[in-house]
Amino acid sequence: MLEIHCPYCGESRSEEEFSYAGEAHIRRPSDPAGLDDRAWGDYLHFRSNPRGAHRELWFHAAGCRRYLNVLRDTASYQISQTYRVGESPEDV
Amino acid sequence: MSAGGASLPTSSHPAHTPARPAHSPARRLPAGGRIDRSQPLRFTFDGRSMSGFGGDTLASALLANGVDTVAQSFKHGRRRGIVGSGAEEPNAIVDLADGAHRIPNQRATQVELHAGLVATSGARRPLKRFAGAFAGVMPAGFYYKFFMGPPWLWRRWEALLRRAAGLGAVPAGADPDTYDKLNHHCDVLVVGGGPAGIAAALAAARVDARVVLVDEQNEFGGSLLGAPQAIGDTPATQWIDAAIEELSARPNVALLPRATAFGYYDHNFVTALERRTDHLGATSPSAPRQRLHRIRAKQVALATGAVERPATFANNDLPGVMLASAVATYLNRYAVAPGTRLLLFTSNDNAYRTALDWRRAGRCVVAVSDTRPGPEGALVAQAVAAGIEIHRAHAVIEAIGRKRVAGALIAPLSEDGRRLAAKPRRLDCDLIACSDGWSPAIHLSSQAGARPRWNEEGMMFLPGAPRQPTLCAGAVNGAMSLAACLADGAAAGARAAHAAGFGDARPRFAPPPVEEAEEGAARPLFIAPHVQPSSRAPKQFVDFQLDVTAADIELAAREGYRSVEHAKRYTALGFGTDQGKLGNVNGVAILARALGQGIAETGVTVFRPAYTPVTFGAIAGRDTGELFDAERHTPMHAWHAAHGAAWENVGRWKRPWHYPQADETMHDAVVRECRSARQSVAMLDASTLGKIDVQGADAAAFLDRIYAGSFQRLGVGRCRYGLMLREDGTIFDDGVAARLADTRFLLHTTTGNAEAALAWLELWRQTEWPDLDVYFTSVTDHWATAALAGPKARDVLRRVCDDIDLSREAFPFMSVRSGHVAGRPARVFRISFSGELCFEVNVAAHDGMDVWNALMAAGEPFGITPYGTETMHVLRAEKGFIIVGQDTDGSMTPEDMGLGWAVRHGKPFGFIGDRSLALADHRRADRLHFVGLATTDAAAVLPEGAQIVAASTRRAAKPTTPRAMQGHVTSSYFSPALERSIALAMLKRGRERLGEIVCCPLADGREVSAQVVNPIFFDAEGRRTRA
Amino acid sequence: MPKAGAPVPDATTLRGPRRQACLSLRAQPTASLRGAVATALGVELPVAPCTHRRAGERALHWLGPDEWLATAPAGTEDALQAALRAALTGHFAVTDVSGAWRSFNLAGPRAIEVLRKSSPCDFHPRAFAPGRCVQTVFAKATALIACNADGDFDVITRTSYADYLRHWLEVATLEHPASP
Ligand SMILES: [Zn+2]
Repeated sequence: MLEIHCPYCGESRSEEEFSYAGEAHIRRPSDPAGLDDRAWGDYLHFRSNPRGAHRELWFHAAGCRRYLNVLRDTASYQISQTYRVGESPEDV
Repeated sequence: MSAGGASLPTSSHPAHTPARPAHSPARRLPAGGRIDRSQPLRFTFDGRSMSGFGGDTLASALLANGVDTVAQSFKHGRRRGIVGSGAEEPNAIVDLADGAHRIPNQRATQVELHAGLVATSGARRPLKRFAGAFAGVMPAGFYYKFFMGPPWLWRRWEALLRRAAGLGAVPAGADPDTYDKLNHHCDVLVVGGGPAGIAAALAAARVDARVVLVDEQNEFGGSLLGAPQAIGDTPATQWIDAAIEELSARPNVALLPRATAFGYYDHNFVTALERRTDHLGATSPSAPRQRLHRIRAKQVALATGAVERPATFANNDLPGVMLASAVATYLNRYAVAPGTRLLLFTSNDNAYRTALDWRRAGRCVVAVSDTRPGPEGALVAQAVAAGIEIHRAHAVIEAIGRKRVAGALIAPLSEDGRRLAAKPRRLDCDLIACSDGWSPAIHLSSQAGARPRWNEEGMMFLPGAPRQPTLCAGAVNGAMSLAACLADGAAAGARAAHAAGFGDARPRFAPPPVEEAEEGAARPLFIAPHVQPSSRAPKQFVDFQLDVTAADIELAAREGYRSVEHAKRYTALGFGTDQGKLGNVNGVAILARALGQGIAETGVTVFRPAYTPVTFGAIAGRDTGELFDAERHTPMHAWHAAHGAAWENVGRWKRPWHYPQADETMHDAVVRECRSARQSVAMLDASTLGKIDVQGADAAAFLDRIYAGSFQRLGVGRCRYGLMLREDGTIFDDGVAARLADTRFLLHTTTGNAEAALAWLELWRQTEWPDLDVYFTSVTDHWATAALAGPKARDVLRRVCDDIDLSREAFPFMSVRSGHVAGRPARVFRISFSGELCFEVNVAAHDGMDVWNALMAAGEPFGITPYGTETMHVLRAEKGFIIVGQDTDGSMTPEDMGLGWAVRHGKPFGFIGDRSLALADHRRADRLHFVGLATTDAAAVLPEGAQIVAASTRRAAKPTTPRAMQGHVTSSYFSPALERSIALAMLKRGRERLGEIVCCPLADGREVSAQVVNPIFFDAEGRRTRA
Repeated sequence: MPKAGAPVPDATTLRGPRRQACLSLRAQPTASLRGAVATALGVELPVAPCTHRRAGERALHWLGPDEWLATAPAGTEDALQAALRAALTGHFAVTDVSGAWRSFNLAGPRAIEVLRKSSPCDFHPRAFAPGRCVQTVFAKATALIACNADGDFDVITRTSYADYLRHWLEVATLEHPASP
């Protein structure tokens, strides 16, 4: 059971308040029509899936209903940072 | 968990002179112990009535009553007795209570005795009885070798194995007891209430950290309860009592006795099971029998103690072979001597205490067999001084006896301890207390991700480097003396508190002075040699609960199972409910020796929750019966219940399914409800539909990006059906959106998707388009919705609504109006999921019941009929309306469903999923299409989920050739309006196949043929809807 | 079990579900918004996360960085909405959600234990003093929980969960009932 610090609520809360929303910092292409099928497919389906530090998007579903970024180690499950949408881990 | 083993020069419990001859069968000592002799308790074990005292455990009471055999072993059916005195006990596993209150898998050593306790040893039926030809052998891996054969046979094996494994009897009936859960947050969680744990709790509490102290025993004190020691001039338990008094007086401390911390999960989340009324024997609904504590701690201090390691020798499973520390505990804490003539087999000084205590209790110590050639610690000297015979460099190699120990073979050891230096000889004894060292209780530390490390000096696995904010203190850390435990605990508590933001990491108290006996080095054998090799010698047990022997482990090594994890699975070592607390380290050592390598490189298996078994009752907590799930009720729920609704669960909502009258079947009720809607008027509670209020200058622009259709030009007061797609082009949700104002919309979502749809909107607003001025608010619960459907709907509504012009011209289909219904502010939508003239009346939830009643009254002259979800489904299926999640499965595009008309390409921004619709796969010609099926036999209703294949070319009674699946039935009903069976289906190239006959083979062997038709079965022109 | 009729010193009093006027407010917490809200409602806008402000029978709860829930006596929702809409400017959303929420109140020295049986949040006075509020998981539903000045708690939940939570809370208070 993870404990996640919500940068909007300013508090650490239990995992059960959150839902996972995939890898973070995946920008939607600004011109989808300009991409060929392969490039669009990369955006749709391909993720980094690292062992180690992973930038994740979570949703504080039962709390403030804000999406937040979580820097989590996929091997140890330790969370080194959480930060707001629009920020990057270096900003924090 | 017993904390630090201890050495004691002067015993604090009163010595007494023997009142009976040495061979007296009376096991209960006349004085001493922490039992309450003024409180005699009757209890029943395996149907026999016995008595014990308050303060007894079931195990101590059984021993006091002379019960030697408490179980038959799993594989071999051998007699087994009580070995330990705590969580490590492998044999005395009992079922408690009877009937529905029964709880299986309880360790008698941890069950507090109470009046009227009923325990059953589980009535095992050893595998030996039916393993036939294998009976005598059953080597390691026999599961894999023996339980082969046709798959159907496995179900019988499973039942037999369950009974053999002593997994206990399934309780009869629903559990009448109550359980609950309690969440904790603390700065420092201390696990273990022995000297180290208490010192840690004190150190943390005194600097004002929030502390939770969890201990599995009924009293705090840990090992000191069974092995008294002195602190200064007073018994250590007095120091404990004072410490507990201080802790319980502090508001920042929560004490949890009778609570076993059984799981250590990510981010310092620990679960503990508290037994609240088990020791009282009575339960009441207001007092939970057990409570599951969910503890989130900034820092965890593990003071879980250590478990003594048994010795491995031939017939070491005979009743009367016990852990030395357990013998001392029964003697000192419970005033029970589990035998008369004691032989101590040890590889360390510590266990000499047991021999000394035994002697002080006035019993006969036959001898000490010490593996070491020159033991010379203080305790050894005391034993010598007491005249106890010590056989140096000796091992007990075999226990002798039939029902219990009657003697032992001991023999001198070779220099390396792996062979015998001379022939064995026999000693007469009825109790063998053994100690081959201590195994720190590293289970929780291992669960938390720390890999145990082998400590060659202490000959034990210690907690590895922590992966979480964990500190270890006391015996679990290898600190084996009381003084070391107290100091270690105090330091850990202070450090933990400091790390959590309290104090300066230095303990605020000086550990009290403890006089320690100096101890010599230990020399564990892990397995005592025998005159025969392990494969020939009488069985040398490593894991008592699962009957794993030294020979089994050696066989595993010979058969190539070199990894400790593989050997574990091959032999089942450590797979019992005791998780091999006694046998694991011996097993690893034996495996290491067989592989010719060290213990460190062999390693130990990973421990997983739960440390000791946990009842399902506690895991379920209060979430049972009517509270099993969070039921959502609409504002008209009570009315539906009063009118006999049969319920359908839709997500968490309770929705009326149909309203059977008198002795109507469901079919009868649905036919009646459908006819009423088609012929006159019927009413549905549609409150569960998801509703999202969207406001902002960019609301329309935002919706244009989210919906496949176009909403920019939707007029105020108008409604439009919208499809939300995922980015991959598949249908995510659908519903009608209404434009309430230029900058305000109301979105309807499917009932089950309401929260997901809102999260979806927020996702795009927050992460991609924060520049759009738009806000969303869920109003699902705000509105009560009554859908009035049928040719007479307008007539009914007109009777209770006079401020909205309901005429066809003024209030056309797909529009929304505001006004009053039955005097309450209302929003009325002319939308229809039934294919009839329909008004969906929305009022605030608190007005819902009144307005519903008013509509029912207004509809009475027209025979208004409430209808449920089944009728709703039939009506919509007759119209070919899809239900997302029933007719779609997450892989369907709008085109697949024939909903291309709801997609608008070429919008300024495009929309989510737009690009994917152009992907080659989505444009394949042979995709599944949404079609209708009309069965050839009009009465045959296809089962939903039925597969569709090409029709048989010949009339074979039993077609054998596999035929390719071409699609499946998604919805299927009997249509009262058409008086025939109708179905909706996904069929390959379906729209090109209208008129074709296809075939649905059913599970019962029948085949139902059907014609592919347009999915709109009823009023294809939509005249009724627009009426 | 306490004797019938005997006073229960640590009883937990459970009230509700009760209906209130509820308005959802969504906007950026600018100075002008704060001024407008204070003028229209007579309650300061709580901008610190997880806090609420109260003035008489009206309260404003922080739900998120751009979302608040206003509560007031039932029946005042139309007037409050009108006042808010008149006062606010720019991009905002005001929605009447009076039907969507129901309030429970828990009072008594062991009320915190009832909360701890129901939610994974930390309700210890060190973490959850008067003036704090949290949205969180509550039993198998969700709730907004606020700690009032007197140390009692409001548990505000979706209307559709009210029956379930009333039952849940009755069971959770069984150990220290208000009236035996
Ligand atoms: Zn949050």
